[in-house]
Amino acid sequence: MGLESKLGDNIFTTTVDKFVNWGRKNSLWPMPFGTACCAIEMMAALASKFDLSRFGAEVIRFSPRQSDLLIVSGRISLKMMPVLKKIYDQMPEPKWVISMGACASSGGVFDTYTLIQGVDQFIPVDVYIPGCPPRPEDLIDAVIHIQQIVDQESVSKKRMEKRAIAGSRG
Amino acid sequence: MSEEKEETPEEQQPLVVQKAQEKYSDAILEVSDARGELTIVVRKDVIHGLMEFLKNSPELVYDYLVDVTAVDYSLMEDVLTKYDYARFMVVYHLYSHKNRARLRVKVPVHEKELHIPSMASLWRAANWLERETYDMFGITFDNHPDLRRILMPDDYEGHPLRKDYPLRGRGERESFNFERQNA
Repeated sequence: MGLESKLGDNIFTTTVDKFVNWGRKNSLWPMPFGTACCAIEMMAALASKFDLSRFGAEVIRFSPRQSDLLIVSGRISLKMMPVLKKIYDQMPEPKWVISMGACASSGGVFDTYTLIQGVDQFIPVDVYIPGCPPRPEDLIDAVIHIQQIVDQESVSKKRMEKRAIAGSRG
Repeated sequence: MSEEKEETPEEQQPLVVQKAQEKYSDAILEVSDARGELTIVVRKDVIHGLMEFLKNSPELVYDYLVDVTAVDYSLMEDVLTKYDYARFMVVYHLYSHKNRARLRVKVPVHEKELHIPSMASLWRAANWLERETYDMFGITFDNHPDLRRILMPDDYEGHPLRKDYPLRGRGERESFNFERQNA
């Protein structure tokens, strides 16, 4: 049985923010954008050994319209950036972004004519993961960071204002 | 290999070189063999005929076009002087399943006449490989069925594998218009 058997007819009081955030942070739906070796580590984080489902974020589907967490894992080239931007735009609010690995965060070792030097120039990033590639634990750590960010948000405040501040930071 | 030796006891030249020299003696500029990697340098005007011969000759049967690429020799003075200051060389890698033999064919291409016949009519593989070479070096391929950029965005300017192209680009990373691109 569920909670009812323990609680009986008792009532909990809470705030809307806390309740909504509790639901959101424990059921993140990631949208994977794997373009390089970081995606292999992402797969490892999802698979049985590291098991991202322990943190409620195992439902990885290639469906931006049903997702709220974009994981950019890999190099983003000049030609791929419009695709990434479109996928980001298709995701409904509220949404969060993890920039996984050196390439997505800064271009990494690929300081060349065709590689975007950090996706945060074009989409707002909430958590950066250093590493080349990062270990699966680092991705799990980033998801926990996202959960903490989600926990601090408020349904009443306008998210777009926060986005504007985040955008000007980069 | 034993077959060749029977045919030409006095010469060590491989069969393909003999056949090519029979047919295009004056157009073969150089033959070299670096540890079994056979390379011939050929004049541009005979390249399509030669490649057709290499593919369709019943003895040679170079039926597999492995790669088409190019080299920008603009910084290598010794190569430039050797081939009449031809800046580029288009490089074809061929493989013969029948003879299990590989062959590299190089063609000097001058910057003034930056075009070369397309091999797409002989090997369908040439289609995309030549598009890549066009994209990276700006060499156009005559009679190519669909000569467009293949790796860089369609409205990209410049050819990034040329030696005078800066590694970090000419500001495309900063100025590129992402909204205009069709994702």
